[in-house]
Amino acid sequence: MAHPLLDEMKAQEEAFKQTGHLFGLERLARKESDPGTYEAVWHILSNLCNAAWATGCKVSSSPIAAEGGDALWGLHTSTGEAICISRGISAHAGLLSDMIKNFIGLGYEEYPGFKQGDIFENNDPHYGGIHSPDFDMCMPLFYGGKLIAWASCVSHVSDAGSVTPGSIGFLNPDCYSDGLPISMERVGEHDRFYPWYEMRIRSRTRTPDFVMGDARGRLAGCITIRERLEEVIEKYGLDLFLDVGREYVEDSRRYAVGRVKTQTVPGRIRKSQFKDLAMKGKRVLLAKQDIDCAFNLPMELTINADASVDLSLQGASGTVPFGENISPTALKSGLMMGYSHIVGFDMFNSGPIAAWNIEMPPAGSWANPFEVDYQAASGVAWAPAVTWVSNLYEVFGRLFQMRGFVEEMAAGSGTIMTAEFSGINQTGMYLTGLTLEQASQGSPARGYSDGENSAWCIYTPEADFGNAEISELYYPILFLGRNVAPNSGGYGQFRGGLGHTAVWMVHNTPGLEYQCGDAGMRSKMVANHGMYGAYPVVPDRPAYGHKTNVKELIDSQSPLIHGRGDPESPAVASLIEADIVEDNAVAPFVTPEPLVDYDVIVHPIAGAQAMGDPILRDPASVARDLNEGWTTTRVATELHGVVADKPNGAFVVDEEATQAQRESIRKARLARAIPFKEWWQSECEKVAAQENMDPAIQTMWASSMALSPKYAEELRAFWGLPEDFTFGA
Amino acid sequence: MAEFDKADIEKLMDGVLPWPATQDMLKSSKDEDRFDKYVEIMQSRVQFKETILLPLTPQLFIVSESNQRVVKCGCGHSFGDYRVNWKLSSLIHVRDDEASMSEVYKGREMPDPAWVQLREYICPNCGAQLEVEAVPRGCPPDFEFLPDLDTFYSEWLGRPLPDTVEFADKTLDRIAEWSE
Repeated sequence: MAHPLLDEMKAQEEAFKQTGHLFGLERLARKESDPGTYEAVWHILSNLCNAAWATGCKVSSSPIAAEGGDALWGLHTSTGEAICISRGISAHAGLLSDMIKNFIGLGYEEYPGFKQGDIFENNDPHYGGIHSPDFDMCMPLFYGGKLIAWASCVSHVSDAGSVTPGSIGFLNPDCYSDGLPISMERVGEHDRFYPWYEMRIRSRTRTPDFVMGDARGRLAGCITIRERLEEVIEKYGLDLFLDVGREYVEDSRRYAVGRVKTQTVPGRIRKSQFKDLAMKGKRVLLAKQDIDCAFNLPMELTINADASVDLSLQGASGTVPFGENISPTALKSGLMMGYSHIVGFDMFNSGPIAAWNIEMPPAGSWANPFEVDYQAASGVAWAPAVTWVSNLYEVFGRLFQMRGFVEEMAAGSGTIMTAEFSGINQTGMYLTGLTLEQASQGSPARGYSDGENSAWCIYTPEADFGNAEISELYYPILFLGRNVAPNSGGYGQFRGGLGHTAVWMVHNTPGLEYQCGDAGMRSKMVANHGMYGAYPVVPDRPAYGHKTNVKELIDSQSPLIHGRGDPESPAVASLIEADIVEDNAVAPFVTPEPLVDYDVIVHPIAGAQAMGDPILRDPASVARDLNEGWTTTRVATELHGVVADKPNGAFVVDEEATQAQRESIRKARLARAIPFKEWWQSECEKVAAQENMDPAIQTMWASSMALSPKYAEELRAFWGLPEDFTFGA
Repeated sequence: MAEFDKADIEKLMDGVLPWPATQDMLKSSKDEDRFDKYVEIMQSRVQFKETILLPLTPQLFIVSESNQRVVKCGCGHSFGDYRVNWKLSSLIHVRDDEASMSEVYKGREMPDPAWVQLREYICPNCGAQLEVEAVPRGCPPDFEFLPDLDTFYSEWLGRPLPDTVEFADKTLDRIAEWSE
C-alpha cells in the first residue's frame, strides 16, 4: 500500500537535513518573482483563519470560547506544517502540527484513510495532547481529488470528565483520572460527528451541551477555512497556493534565524526556575497525594555560530502524583509559542522552531513523564511548562540588551492561578467552568518602561478577562470588585504591569465549589526573575470567607469588601465576619466545604516581572504609582528610596531626601553584604546538612540529580559535596 | 534599513523617548549599526576607559583590559575573567529567614524561606544591586550568560578580536581553587 504523504514527509525531513532549508527551498521563488501577490495571499490566508476563529467562537456556546476566545484555528500544508494560524491561544500551533504529522506517521492514510469531510481529533497526552480539556481537531482538505492541506483547531472545553469538575485538573492523581480520552480518532465523516461521539460526550462530561457546542464550533471553523481556501485556490491557482504555503514556513524560519544572528549574541545561557505545589494537609484524592512538591524547571540554551539554538532541560525534576506532567510534544508547542512572541512573529507558523535542536528532556521528569511513569497525569500539563517558558522572555530580553535593542527587551512573565466554579447556578442548571480572570495579567517590564496593567497573558495574545456581567450570567457569583492590585508587578527600575484582584460574592446557589487552580502559580516561592537586580513578583495567595455577615452589611448599607487589602491587614479578616476565614491561603486548593450565598472569594491575578535595581526607578514614576494607589509608602521609601510628601492631597517627590535615602540604601547594602566566597564556605555546610530545606525541596533535588547525572555532578562540585551525596537521604 | 539617532537611542534607554518614536523603533526593520552606537553610548557613561566588548547587562560590561577580557561594573570595579561567573567576585546578601525576607515582602506576600532564598548580588564598590536570585538552597548561582565572544566578533560582526581565548566555563575551576 502506498503512503504518499508519509513518503513526502520523510523526503521533506531529508531535504531539510541536506540543505538546511525547509522543504529544500533554497530559493523563495514565488516571493522573488511576485512579492505583491506573495504578501497579499499571506494576509488572505491569515484572514481566513481569523474568520474561522470568529465563526467557531460564535458557534460555540461555552463562555470560555464565546466570551474568552480560548480557541485557535490553523491552516497546514499537506504534511502538517502550520502555514498560518488565527488569533487565540497560540500556544497550540505546534501541537496541532505535530498531531497531523502523527496521523500521517501512524499510517492513517492507508487505514482508515483520509477523505473530504473527515473529522479527526486527539486530546490524549500519550499521543501528544496537552491535557484532556484541550480538544485538538483536524480535517484533511481536498481539491481536485487530492489532499492539499489541513484545517485544524483546538478549543478549551469547560469539562472533559476528569475526576474533579472543571478543566484545570491539578488534583488528578493519574492518567485514568484525566477524563475522557479521544486517542487519535476519526470522530466524524461528511462534516458530521458520529452519533456515538456525542453519546460519549453526553455520558462522560459534566457540561455536555457546552462541550458539544465547542465541538460544533471547531467544526464550523474548519469548514470555514475549507470553503474560503477553495475561493483562494480558484482565484490564484492551486500551484501558487502549494508553493507559497511552503515558502511562508521557510520564510519564517529564515526570519527567526536572521533575527537571532542580527539581534543576539552566540554563547551559553542558563536560567534556573522553580515552582511549588504544596498539597500536604489539603483536600486530595489519594493518600499518595498528601505531600508537598517542588519543580525544578531549568533552561539551558546554546546559540551556535550558525544561529541555530540548542535547548536542554538537564536537571528537570521528576514526575508528580498530580496533573502537572507534560508530554515533550506539548512542551515543544509551548516553547514555539513563547519563541513566536519573542523572535519569530512576522509570520507565525512552524518555521521558527525548525532552527531549534531540542534535546529530549530527562525520561521520568515532569517534561517527559511517560517513558518511566506511563500513568502520570496531565490534567493541567501546562502548569510547569508555562512557568518554564517564562524564562525565555527574560533570556531573550538579556540577549537583545547586549546588542542594544532595548525596545525588544522583556522581563519574565507573571504566574497563572485560575478560578473555577462548579455547582448549581441561578437558573437551576449544573455548571462547571473556568473564569477568564487569569487571561489578563500584567505584561512584563520592558527595557524602557513599565509593563501594562491587566493587558497580557503568556499563553494567548487574546489577553481578555471577559465581561464581568457575562461571568455573572453563567456562574452564581456577583463581582464586588475587580481592581488593580498594588505592588503586584515586582520592584525594579521598571516594574511589571500590575495584576488585578477579583472579589466575588456567591449568590443564588444551593452550594458552590471554588477551585483555586494551578495553571502555573506559585504560593510558597517567588519566581527566579530578579533581572538586573529587581525583586520578583509576590506569591499567589487567595482568600475566602465562608458563612459571612455580608447580607447584614448589604441590608444595613454598610461598607463591603472590594479588594485584597493591606498584606498585613487582609480584607477578609478585617472587613467582614465569617465562620471560616481563610485570609492567606496557600494555593492551589479546592474549598473543602460548599460555598453558600454571601460567601466571599478574593482571587488575585499576578502582575508580571520587573527589571533593574529598584533604586534606579524614576522617582516621578514612584510618585505616580503612589497617587494611583498602585504602590505604598513603605515600598516607595524602603525599596525604591523615594521620599514623597503629600502637601496638597497628592504625593510629590522630595528630591533631596530621595537622594539621601538612596545613598543610605547603597551604604546599607555594602554594610550587610559579604564576599561571595565567605557566604559560599558557610553555605556549603548548610547545603550538605540540608539545613532549613523543606522536604519537598530535598525530594526535588534528589530526583533532578538522579535523572540528570551531569547536572548532579556539577551541583555536587559547586558545593563540594561527596560523589555519592544525595538529598533527602 | 532603518537608522536611528544616537540621541534617540539614549532617550529610549532612559525611558523618555516619546511613544510614537518608540513604536517606530519597534516596527521598523532593525538598524545594522545599533550595537556600535549602543556601545558608544555605554562607553560614554561608564567610569572606566577600557574598551567595552559586550554590555553583559545595563550595569555590567565585558571589557578588554591589558589583554584580558574581564567583567566590570559601570563604576569601574573589576570582577575578573568573564568566563568565571562574576557573582563569585561580588558581595552577596542572602535573605533566608522571615526577618530578612520581611524587609522586602510583608505579611501574606512573604515567600517561605524553607522553599526559597533571595540572593542579592551587590557591587563591592558602588553598592549597585546587580542581580537578585530567588532559588531554593542548593541551587548554584545562575551563570546567566557565557558569550562566545570570538565567534561573535569574527563571524557575526566580521571584525575578529586581536586575540582569541578558549570558550569555556571556568567557574568550577575557581571553586576547585577555593576548595584546596
